[in-house]
Amino acid sequence: MDQMKPPAAGANSARGLTAKQRERCAAWLFVLPDALGLLVFVGVPMLLSLVVGFFEVNGFGGYRFVGFGNYRRMWGDPLFWSSVKVTVAYAVMLVPALYVAGLGLALLVQKTNRFNAVMRSMFFAPQMVSLVVVALVWQLMLVEKVGIVSRLAPLVGLGGISLLGDPNLALFTLVLVSVWFLMGFYMLIFLGGLQDIPAEYYEAAKIDGAGPVTSFWYITLPLLKPTSFFVLLVSLVAAVAGGQVFDLIYVMTKGGPVNSTSVLIIYIYKQAFQFGAFGYASAMASLLVLALMLVTVFFFVLTRGGRFEHD
Amino acid sequence: MTDKTTRDRPLASLNRRRLIQGGATFAAAGLTGFPFINRMAVRAQEAPLKFWQFYAPGGDVKPQVQWFEKLVADWNDGHDQKVELEYVVNSEYISGSKLATAFASGEGPDIFLISPGDFLRYYNGGVLADLTPHIEDAAKADFPESVIANRMVDGKIYGVPMEVEPMAFYYSVKAFEDAKLNENDVPKTWDELLAVAKKLTTPSRYGVLFETTPGYYQNFTWYPFLWQGGGEFQGKDGKSAFDSPATVQALKLWQDAINTGVAPRQVVGGGFDIVANLGAGLCAMQNCGIWGISAMDNNAKDVPYGIFKLPTPANGKYVTVGGGWAFVANAGGKNPDASAQFCAWALASMDQASIDRVVNWCTVAKSDMPPRNSALKAGADVFSTGKFGTFAKEIHPGTRAEPRVPPEAYKIISDAIQSAQLGGVDAQQAATTASQQLDAFLASYSGAPIL
Repeated sequence: MDQMKPPAAGANSARGLTAKQRERCAAWLFVLPDALGLLVFVGVPMLLSLVVGFFEVNGFGGYRFVGFGNYRRMWGDPLFWSSVKVTVAYAVMLVPALYVAGLGLALLVQKTNRFNAVMRSMFFAPQMVSLVVVALVWQLMLVEKVGIVSRLAPLVGLGGISLLGDPNLALFTLVLVSVWFLMGFYMLIFLGGLQDIPAEYYEAAKIDGAGPVTSFWYITLPLLKPTSFFVLLVSLVAAVAGGQVFDLIYVMTKGGPVNSTSVLIIYIYKQAFQFGAFGYASAMASLLVLALMLVTVFFFVLTRGGRFEHD
Repeated sequence: MTDKTTRDRPLASLNRRRLIQGGATFAAAGLTGFPFINRMAVRAQEAPLKFWQFYAPGGDVKPQVQWFEKLVADWNDGHDQKVELEYVVNSEYISGSKLATAFASGEGPDIFLISPGDFLRYYNGGVLADLTPHIEDAAKADFPESVIANRMVDGKIYGVPMEVEPMAFYYSVKAFEDAKLNENDVPKTWDELLAVAKKLTTPSRYGVLFETTPGYYQNFTWYPFLWQGGGEFQGKDGKSAFDSPATVQALKLWQDAINTGVAPRQVVGGGFDIVANLGAGLCAMQNCGIWGISAMDNNAKDVPYGIFKLPTPANGKYVTVGGGWAFVANAGGKNPDASAQFCAWALASMDQASIDRVVNWCTVAKSDMPPRNSALKAGADVFSTGKFGTFAKEIHPGTRAEPRVPPEAYKIISDAIQSAQLGGVDAQQAATTASQQLDAFLASYSGAPIL
């Protein structure tokens, strides 16, 4: 029984650690598995990829050091620049659309009642389905003449268009499908942010005569800054290098028509696994990581390390 | 008290001392087992050869699974070096990363399948074993030149084809009847093709379907239209021959089909999937290979269909393209000699079992033309009647082997097709741009000849 007695608060343990030190130790132990996983499965491959980027690799064990040759090749590769443009266009359309859709849905279903509970589940439901299945179903719905979307399109004056087959429309269509798929996830994040805003603020504003729009602009949006920061950053990374962008595009268009949906990660994949240019693909991947790191640093500097006035 | 605590919390009995004891025991067991790790190299030599393909044992077409399983069982019955099938899902094998990453990490399979489109990549990478010493002269002569040439370098055979898959057109009999057309109206020229397609186009159906998804398959289906007008992508001087009237008219045919609204910009699944397109009523005519026979017969039994050979341009010559997969052996595998022997034994022996195996694959497991004269003769009953007969008599005689092109050249041609077909770029401009890019690439290319 004596062995089971907890030590008195603040007392030193047998090893001489204070309670604070032990708490810190426990915190590190909790973080350790995840940190190790990140190091082994993300950090080390990232480093190896950086190294491979300085070699010409033939895909069959042949390595030849080329220094910055792969980076120079990028400079003169029109398909690389074309895929950078497509990636930027995709991100520029997707990130604001996800922000608006996620926040809009969260505002719609923030009140707790049965109807909203059902609606939240419905909006989040796409996240429960494999992205490949989502892509295949959307592909079928968008097929010209026979797909349900294509059949309904003439009713709103959009007859005779090919949403996935027209290079001017394909990327925009993919953004819409991406928003449909991801908005439920961002809705949940915004819901968490909205629930952190004290109700008293709204009550006080109402007494002062503020309407819903004024409350939204002067209470909701400012107090959602940390959530907005997180959403913008995560959705940007997802738009540029997320699994959803690759899966969706690879299944629905394979980067076509006419490379109009060939985002950078699709181009990197093709260079590596279809053309066997692992060195070139690694160099592009390293550059992409660097660009995302710079954007993240920029975001952190802009928000002074993600700290906001009310924190 | 102690008993109760232990029962309630199973790990309560796991104190520090026991944990150390357990760890020490585990470490000791690991160290004791270390010598076995050293024996793994010895065991590897005895391990079965891995045969990667996308048919068996996990495939969903029973006759194909059975064919592969019997093939391996027959080999294993009579040879010390065993072979083991390893199934790789189709999408992961053909355009996925599995094969590429396996070879990049030095863990490539001993035996695997490749198409002509991938031949140069693997040959130039030095991983294809020479199969010639294992193939007798009579068997070499049994493969028509048009079938085996794109698997050969400097007179040596590096792949044994298991099938020939010529391209043709399939049409829906009902769609023809609805448009008051019959089998005598099947188009014979490109102009007729577009005219008939226009008659067959309705608000819920396209008249004709060409592949629209960029990739090796789209290039493959486009080559015969290039060849029919006498076009080539590389001249005899080794330079690009892509900027030619033949190229322009072939690009323009596909572009016109889209611009006139008789062909879709998007296909279901892929242009190779005849059931999802012609079978489902998306189109009335579809450009598809011989595999369409078994696909339609098995999965669209209630859709009557017919077949006709590719129409030709004015003053053009009939040519179609024949694809197909081949067995190859990994020169850097566990036992390259046995792997090469297996490939030759399976598909390139004059032994009757080998010939029957080819016939069986092309008629029972799949619907393909056999790559060997002897197999064509042995399966004469099947290849002389019905839809197989149409292929054998009318379509296959004009077959030209699928060209083997390096990935870089494939991409240039693919971009030209896509930009003209779906991007609205002038066909001449697309041909000129691609030709300049091809010239730049060909000037720096070093490797086996492009065919």
